[in-house]
Amino acid sequence: MFESLLFAVFAGIAIGCALGVVFHRNPVHCALLLVGVLLSVAGIFILLHAQFVAALQVIVYAGAIMVLFLFVVMLLNIKGETPLLTPGAAKGFGFLFALIVFVELIWTAVQPAAEGQRMAEALPLPADFGSPAALGRVLYTVWLYPFEITSILLLVAVVGAVVLAKRKFF
Amino acid sequence: MDLATLIEAVVKVHVVLGFVLVAVPLIVWMERKVLGHMQDRIGPQRVGPFGLLQTIADGIKLFMKEDILPSQSDKVVYFLAPAISIVTALAAMTVIPFGDTVWLFGREIALRITDVNIAILFLLGATSMGVYGIVLGGWASNSKYPLLGGLRSSAQMISYELAQGISLIGVIMITGSLSLNEIGRAQEKLWFVVPQFFAFVIYVVCSVAETNRAPFDLAEAETELVAGFHTEFSSMKFALYFLAEYANMMVVSGVAITCFLGGWHGPLLPGPLWFFIKLTFFLFFYIWLRATFPRLRYDQLMAFGWKVLLPASLLNLAATAVFLTVKG
Repeated sequence: MFESLLFAVFAGIAIGCALGVVFHRNPVHCALLLVGVLLSVAGIFILLHAQFVAALQVIVYAGAIMVLFLFVVMLLNIKGETPLLTPGAAKGFGFLFALIVFVELIWTAVQPAAEGQRMAEALPLPADFGSPAALGRVLYTVWLYPFEITSILLLVAVVGAVVLAKRKFF
Repeated sequence: MDLATLIEAVVKVHVVLGFVLVAVPLIVWMERKVLGHMQDRIGPQRVGPFGLLQTIADGIKLFMKEDILPSQSDKVVYFLAPAISIVTALAAMTVIPFGDTVWLFGREIALRITDVNIAILFLLGATSMGVYGIVLGGWASNSKYPLLGGLRSSAQMISYELAQGISLIGVIMITGSLSLNEIGRAQEKLWFVVPQFFAFVIYVVCSVAETNRAPFDLAEAETELVAGFHTEFSSMKFALYFLAEYANMMVVSGVAITCFLGGWHGPLLPGPLWFFIKLTFFLFFYIWLRATFPRLRYDQLMAFGWKVLLPASLLNLAATAVFLTVKG
């Protein structure tokens, strides 16, 4: 009962902030509202017993990435919005992507769950579910290859960033 | 959760909050007094015995001051920014253990507000949210110098957060736990400052940068930026920033004590008293640093963070990993 109440609070804040991100004119306010979305999603993660993921969500997304966003927005000091597309085209693209996501959501919702998933839902959570140790064990055994590929991807990104930053602009 | 647990939690929150709010004026007094003597002055001495009431008088003065709202500022964010600063500082305080357990009224009471199993991550999360208080304060004032101060501190804090987090991983690897309580308990025989000396040094340097204290106080460098990010803040909003800075000093000192200096362990005296002694020593150390070192130049600061502290902390991490694997 208490948990579903908390879920409603977090979900409500997340949706409210998300709407704010879309509708607000001031880019800094948008970035702040996005921080609100990320924080309330972290709250939902905690309700799902995934404390470690929640902590990472706060440290990495809300704490580091959004600060950099904010940093750039402040440096550029955009007054109001600077439209990239004409209003008509922006609306068209917006509706298209919103429709795709909506159809996807509906499709996932009506899809009958596969046999394996149903079994997983019926099982009780293990005691250390969501703890850093449990997550690390899964990451380094079952998901080892995707994990290592991700690290290579990050390495490529780091090298790319260094190359871009070191380039002489004259 | 029964009623007794609830009462225990509420009482503990109030005790810790009260301790912080009483300690901050005392630390400010200590800072002024110690700085004064280090600079061959005598510091405050007119208000109360030894000038002890000076900070109380300053606090009352700040309450009475006019709350100035710059006409071109972003109103909502301007109000929000100091609040974010103080809330994150106080939130980080909740996971720091200041003692083991005591028996009171037939209940075993743990001397910390809460013991989450990801305490260190919680702390890092709270500090990384604390950046917003300063950045937004600088931006919302809609003024040149605060903006520059805010931008500086956001870059600085993100850079030093990395080395700070990595320097703590060595301790986590030794204990195999992210809970500050268990890390504190594991140091009954040997303080982690011995096997993790380099990590300790890196952590202390980074924590000075994280709290925006001299010699890393680039965010409020008064010689170039008037007062940095809080130039436009007056009255209690300014006081909240001040409070947050000193509360953050206590938080980073508390973490350093818990992770490296044996937490509440010590001979003869009871745990909380040892914690208090170590805390006082650390705060004195901060003031000592401020009186000793001139402020770094901004590029030196960034180069030091990325080219010295980060590689050093990674090396320490690798060395610890090798040592633990060889030892088995």
